Amino acid sequence: MGAVLAVTIGILVIHVNFVIFQGLFDAIVRDLTDYRFGNLQVTDEEDYIDKSDNTLVKWFERIPYVYAATPRLDSSAAINITKLGKRIEDTRVPIVGVDPLRDIKASTVHTTVTEGQYVFSRNSIVLGSNVARDLGGAQVGDDVKLKIVDRYGKDSIRRFIVTGIANSPGGNGFDYSAVIHIDTLRDMMNRDGYTGSIMVKLNDPAKSTELKDLFLRTFPNDDFKAETLEEVAEAQLSGFRSGIAMINMIGYFGMMSSAFAIVTIQMMLVNGKTKEIGIMRAIGAKRKDILIVFLFQGLIIGAIGASVGTVAGLGYTIYAKETKMSFNGSLPLEVTIQWDKVIQTALTSFGLAIIASLYPSYRATKLLPIEAMRTV
Amino acid sequence: MLEIYNLNKVYGEGDTRVNALQDISITVNKGEFLLIVGSSGSGKSTLLNMIGLLDKPTNGKILVDGIETTTLSDGKISEFRNHKLGFIFQFSNLLTDLTVLENVMLPRQIQGTNGSASKDAKELLKMVGLEDQMHKRGNKISGGQAQRAAIARGLVNHPTIVLADEPTGNLDSVSAQKIVQLMKSMSKKLGQTFIVVTHDRHQFGDVDRIITIKDGRAFEGEESAKMEVPI
Repeated sequence: MGAVLAVTIGILVIHVNFVIFQGLFDAIVRDLTDYRFGNLQVTDEEDYIDKSDNTLVKWFERIPYVYAATPRLDSSAAINITKLGKRIEDTRVPIVGVDPLRDIKASTVHTTVTEGQYVFSRNSIVLGSNVARDLGGAQVGDDVKLKIVDRYGKDSIRRFIVTGIANSPGGNGFDYSAVIHIDTLRDMMNRDGYTGSIMVKLNDPAKSTELKDLFLRTFPNDDFKAETLEEVAEAQLSGFRSGIAMINMIGYFGMMSSAFAIVTIQMMLVNGKTKEIGIMRAIGAKRKDILIVFLFQGLIIGAIGASVGTVAGLGYTIYAKETKMSFNGSLPLEVTIQWDKVIQTALTSFGLAIIASLYPSYRATKLLPIEAMRTV
Repeated sequence: MLEIYNLNKVYGEGDTRVNALQDISITVNKGEFLLIVGSSGSGKSTLLNMIGLLDKPTNGKILVDGIETTTLSDGKISEFRNHKLGFIFQFSNLLTDLTVLENVMLPRQIQGTNGSASKDAKELLKMVGLEDQMHKRGNKISGGQAQRAAIARGLVNHPTIVLADEPTGNLDSVSAQKIVQLMKSMSKKLGQTFIVVTHDRHQFGDVDRIITIKDGRAFEGEESAKMEVPI
C-alpha cells in the first residue's frame, strides 16, 4: 500500500507540475501569439515597412493555412486628461495603432476590453487598465489628449474619446498601452502609408517556419524581417523554458524518491516475510520462484501505482482544464493533455517500480531456508 | 530408500570447532516409522536437516531412492525437496496469508501439478479431520489443527520420506497424542516412511525403529548403558 502510494504521488507530482508550469508557459505563448505577435511577425530590418500594408495582408491571406493578417504601428506618447478641472498627465505611454477591422480577426486583444468597446473610429482610443488608473481613473466617454513627436521632431497633439478600457488576465495584453486607429497614428507620426509590423495568424501554427521562408523568398529585396513566435519572443520564453526543465527534473527526482521508497518498503517486506520465504524454500520453491514472487509484487505495485497516479493526474489535468485554472488568480493556464508525456510518465514509473524491486527480490532469493525459518 | 554413509558435520574452525555429526551411517527402509531421539544439542535436528537437504554435510553421502543428494545443485535440491520429501516442523509453519487448503496444496502448486492438487489436498484434509476447517486462514485454527494441516501438507506430494522435527514440541499432551497417532496411522495406511526427531520418546509408544543421537554419534535403539558402539 505504501509503495503504491509512493508511485502514485510521484506521478501525481509530475502531472501537477506539468499542468501548472507547462500550462503557464503555454498560456504565455498563447497570449503573446493572440495579442502581440501572431504566429509570424513581419517587420522591416531597419525601421518601418513602407510597402502597402494592404498588399502584404492580401498576399498572406491568399495562403490557405493563413487565418488572418493585420498591420500594426507602434509609438509612444504623452497622454493627459482633465478631470474636475484638474489636469493629469502620463508620459511615455506605448501607443499601438491597429486596423480595427483586420485586428479583431488576427488578434484577440479586443476581447480584453472589459468596459466599452474596441477602437472603431479615427478618434477613439482604448486605454489599458493601468494607463486609465494612472490617469486618475479614466472612464469610457472621457476626453484624453495625446502628444506624439512626429518624424520631423514636431509635436502632434490630438484629442480622443475613450471608447474602452482593456484589462487582460495576467497583463499580457495592452494593459500598459493605449490603442488607437493605425491611420490616426500614421497621421500623428507623419508616416503616411508606413507600418510597424504585420501580425500573421495561422490555422496551423506548425507551418510558421514554412510561411516565413516562403515570404522571404517572395520579397527578397524589401529588407523584410520575418520571425516566428519562437524567434520574436525568444528572450521571454527561453528563461521560462529553463525553469520548466528544472521543475520537470524535480518531478523526476520525486519519481526516483518513490523508487527508493519502493526499495525500502520491499526490503521491509522481505524482512517481514523471511520466515515464509524459508518455509517456501523448504517445501521446494526455487530461488527463481521467490524472485518471481517479489518481482511480481513490484510489477503489481508499479501497475497499480502508475494506473492510480495517471488517473489522478489526468483527473487533476481535466479539472484544471474544465475550470480554466488560473495562475495567481489571473492568467488562465493553457492546459493540454499530452498523451505521449502521460504514457511516458506512466511507463517510466512502472519500469522504476520493477527495477526498484530487483534488489529486494534478489535479497529474498539469497535467504537460506534453515536460517530463514528460525526468524520469529 | 535412504542410505547415509559416513556423514560428518563440522561447525566453526580452530578453537570453536564443533563436530555436530560424526561418521553416521544409517539405512532406512520404505514404510519405516523411525524415531530419532537424543538430548537437546545432541545433533538430531542437524541430522534431519542434512537428510532434508536444508543443510550441507561437511563430508559423507546421503542417497534417497539411489540419488546422491549431497552433490545436487541448488535448483535440483529445491526440486528434490519438492518431489521426494515432506516436512513437518515443530511450529506448523503454515503461511498465514493462505487458507488451510491453499497451504496443503502449496507443494503441488510449486511442482506445477495443480490439476489434481485440490482433490488430493481435500482428501488428505479429510483424513486428518480438517475437512470443515479447510477454508480458514492458517492462523485462524488451533495449534493441534495447524499441525494436522502441516501433516497433510507434508504428504500431499507423495514424498519418499516425511521428515518431522519435534512435531509435538509445541502442543499440549492431548493434542500431541492425537498428532502422534495420526502420523503413525498415516504411515500404516499409506505405507509412508516417517523420520521423526523428538526429545520425548515416550509420547510415541511403539515404533518400528529408534536411533539415538549422542554427542553427534548415532546408536541403534534407545539410550542405555550399552550404547558403546555407534552404528
